[in-house]
Amino acid sequence: MTCILTTSRRDILKGGTAALTLGLGATVAPWSVRAAEMTSHEKDLYEAAKKESELTWYTAHSDDVTAQALGRKFQQLYPGIRVNVVRTTAQVAFQRVSQELKAGAMQVDVLSSTDIGHYVYLKEKNLLEKFVPENAGKVFDIYKGYDPDGFYYVTSAGLIGMACNTSKVKLADAPGNWTGLIDAKWKDQIALGHPGFSGYVGTWTVTLRKLYGWQFFEKLAKNGPRVGRSINDTVTLLNSGESTIAGTAANNSTVESMRKGNPLAMIYPTDGTVLILAPSGIMKGAKHPAGARLFMEYLMSVDASQIWVEHFNESMRPEVSPPSGVKSAKDVKPIRPTVEEISKGIPEVIKQWRDTFGV
Amino acid sequence: MPGRAVDREDRAAMSNDSIALRSAAEWGPLRRLDPSMALWLLMIAVLVFLVASPTARLLVSSFQEPETGHFTLANYRDAYFNLRHLTALGNSLELGVGVALMAGLFGVPIAWAISRTDMPLKGFIRLMVLGAFITPPYLAAIGWILLAGPNSGWLNKLWMILSGEVHGVFNVYSMPGLILVVSVTSFPYVFVLTNSALDLVSSEMEDAAQVLGAGKLRTALRVTLPLVLPAILGGLIISFLESIALFGAPALIGLPARFNVVSTQLWQFFEYPVRVETAAAFAMPLLIITVLMFWLQRSVLGRKGYAAVTGKGGERRMIQLGAWRWVMLAHALLVCSLSVLLPMTVLLQAAFAKAWGRGFSFDNLTFENFRYLLFEQTQAQQTIINTFLYAGVTAFAAIALSLAIAYVVNRRLVPWSNVLAFLCVAPFVIPGIVLAIGFYAAYAPPPLALYGTGTILVLAFITRFLPIAYTSSAASIRSINPEMEEAVRILGGGRLLAIRKVLAPLLKKSLAGAWILVFIPAARELSAAIFLVGPNSRVISVMLFDLSEEGNFEVLAALGTILLLVTLVIAAIGFRIIGRDFMLRRSV
Repeated sequence: MTCILTTSRRDILKGGTAALTLGLGATVAPWSVRAAEMTSHEKDLYEAAKKESELTWYTAHSDDVTAQALGRKFQQLYPGIRVNVVRTTAQVAFQRVSQELKAGAMQVDVLSSTDIGHYVYLKEKNLLEKFVPENAGKVFDIYKGYDPDGFYYVTSAGLIGMACNTSKVKLADAPGNWTGLIDAKWKDQIALGHPGFSGYVGTWTVTLRKLYGWQFFEKLAKNGPRVGRSINDTVTLLNSGESTIAGTAANNSTVESMRKGNPLAMIYPTDGTVLILAPSGIMKGAKHPAGARLFMEYLMSVDASQIWVEHFNESMRPEVSPPSGVKSAKDVKPIRPTVEEISKGIPEVIKQWRDTFGV
Repeated sequence: MPGRAVDREDRAAMSNDSIALRSAAEWGPLRRLDPSMALWLLMIAVLVFLVASPTARLLVSSFQEPETGHFTLANYRDAYFNLRHLTALGNSLELGVGVALMAGLFGVPIAWAISRTDMPLKGFIRLMVLGAFITPPYLAAIGWILLAGPNSGWLNKLWMILSGEVHGVFNVYSMPGLILVVSVTSFPYVFVLTNSALDLVSSEMEDAAQVLGAGKLRTALRVTLPLVLPAILGGLIISFLESIALFGAPALIGLPARFNVVSTQLWQFFEYPVRVETAAAFAMPLLIITVLMFWLQRSVLGRKGYAAVTGKGGERRMIQLGAWRWVMLAHALLVCSLSVLLPMTVLLQAAFAKAWGRGFSFDNLTFENFRYLLFEQTQAQQTIINTFLYAGVTAFAAIALSLAIAYVVNRRLVPWSNVLAFLCVAPFVIPGIVLAIGFYAAYAPPPLALYGTGTILVLAFITRFLPIAYTSSAASIRSINPEMEEAVRILGGGRLLAIRKVLAPLLKKSLAGAWILVFIPAARELSAAIFLVGPNSRVISVMLFDLSEEGNFEVLAALGTILLLVTLVIAAIGFRIIGRDFMLRRSV
């Protein structure tokens, strides 16, 4: 499905694949020594951030457990700075940002949405603070230079495939590609997230609309899927036995749940696994600008990638190997629309979704 | 002392009137300038700030262009010329009517059985009704998702085992499911009003019916119930109004069921781009319906039923139901199971489970969910503290304000005191989510720039629960004889001394009750908070809503358990010092 990749993105991906492969061989730097290794730039930021004493991070990049672990690690690395970790879906986070903008009372310092359109919009309206983190040059090539002007940076990446509850259906019988979801035999057994909430699901909807047209979703709606909000909710529905097939399953939350002993299997569709590159940026007028900068550095640090990998997410840094036995972007056939297609497409598909699915 | 005060109340009321008249005549011109006028102005200013201004702002902004502020009808066009929005409106009405009927079906027989019959286990049933009353609807919704999820719910699993079928029979993700969930938390309103009206019906009319040959059932249906029909209607209307204003339960159930109601649609207007103006326009039917229904309820209840005619004078005997008392008990137990026993059991199971779907077993038991919330989640500790802090501050502030107002209204210290009284009870007719939109529009932006602060939450909560505080305060003040304060003043003490040394001690107990009546709903309030919280002012209800996105029911249930536990402790304290039924008696 390289047809939906723009030339530049395809190049980036190729480069990224190489980098990811390189990453496999690298060993992990022990993080206990890193405090001593604080660069002067980092030290300055830390000193300034300590005076602000806290910062607020709105994140849709992961589930709550991973987000809290990231926040705690930061607090451990930089004592004296409290992180308010507010984990919601991308659109809910952005709803709060919009409310804050409208009220003229910016509460959030660092915004980590999964809908790239948010950054395109915020940058256009001059609402993001430009900042070039030192660590921005140290991440995998695939993540570098996402915004050439330096207003936002990829700080997390993930994959969307499908998943099934293996106590109810054998992996071999489960749909192998996206179009398998519209087979009538899955009637009332599919769980989906909602593009009006989840940025992952929004990007997925844009991608599949591009592949198969909106008719795909009209047929999917006839199969009576259970529509939740977050993409992580589909895993809950599989675990409880409420649904058999997750039509939208995030690789990380599914694998993490699988490793806990739940009867799940991840499906990487033959027509492509949707690759999400999720950025973060600092809001203009943020109350804790130094803390926000330090946090941006942190999100692209080895320490953060450690946490990401512990929770089965993609690593940002070549120094950190991906978790063993888990497929990551280099092992599958990734598909991804262009930034422009996503930022234009998500508001459209939310509307279409509401008309087709009723909510 | 209080006993004597009550004995002399009638005389006191008369002398109070004459004193008021005299003083007005003697000091009339002076009074216009004296501190009481300043006091009145201060109070009216506070009430305008809390009640009138957000409401007016809501009304005004529904006619404003977002950018320019010019007059426009476009917001109404956007709000109503859309099939999905109109469907949401229809769904809200369906929900309201369904809940009112179900609440009647649940509440009226129990009220009758407790008030008029020899049904056993009355104390336990009352306790369960109280339990249903303090359960937030969104927690009931989570409980019922665990019970009646179409494939995974406990009841459906049980059914599948018993019947051998592969599909469950109950589907919580449906309009009937939502109606059930909301009914089980709102039937106490019907119960309370019906029960207290029935307590006033003497047995004489029933005796007359039986002498004339009517059976017990016929007597109940043709004589007793019609006597309290206005009270029942009043309860149904309150259930209706509560349900159309709810946000949490419809959001949890309506979305997977694929329908919106007005409140969830209002929430959508706050998605990017935030359309406060359209939201304001779309909130109008909720406001208008509530005003109309409230007015209807007042005029229906205003007649006090026909029961008041007989008064408490007549003899009251419990009807001997014979075998039928077991039927009544079965009904009461069924309602208690649906509302408290079943949802609370599964909620607790989930709170202490590694994975709720794995069922009730020791190897599934864990404190991990609580540990996660209390020690790993960076927000939960602060959120829990915020919740009870804001609820406590709200309760103190609402009672202080309403007590001061009730005092000056009752003692007629200022002119036009009824304006104050009206403003205090006016928020009754403003649904929480509508109030939040008004507060957002009025006080979130500069000059006040209160968005995201604890202050704006507390202010919104004070407004929301001012009517409860005021009705309680006014009732307490009415019960205190002014003679005692006058004695202080004759002996040279000032009014403040009289209030501090005489009034306050006498009111202590009833104020504690009022405090709890405000505290409990404030601690669980979701709809008024949802548009106003910031990262540092989060409360449990909003955190539950955020966490529910991921469907992580174990952690959700644990957080809900913490909320319920604190609420229960507070209610139990009230129980001790004020008496068992204080909440049920006075909240409506």
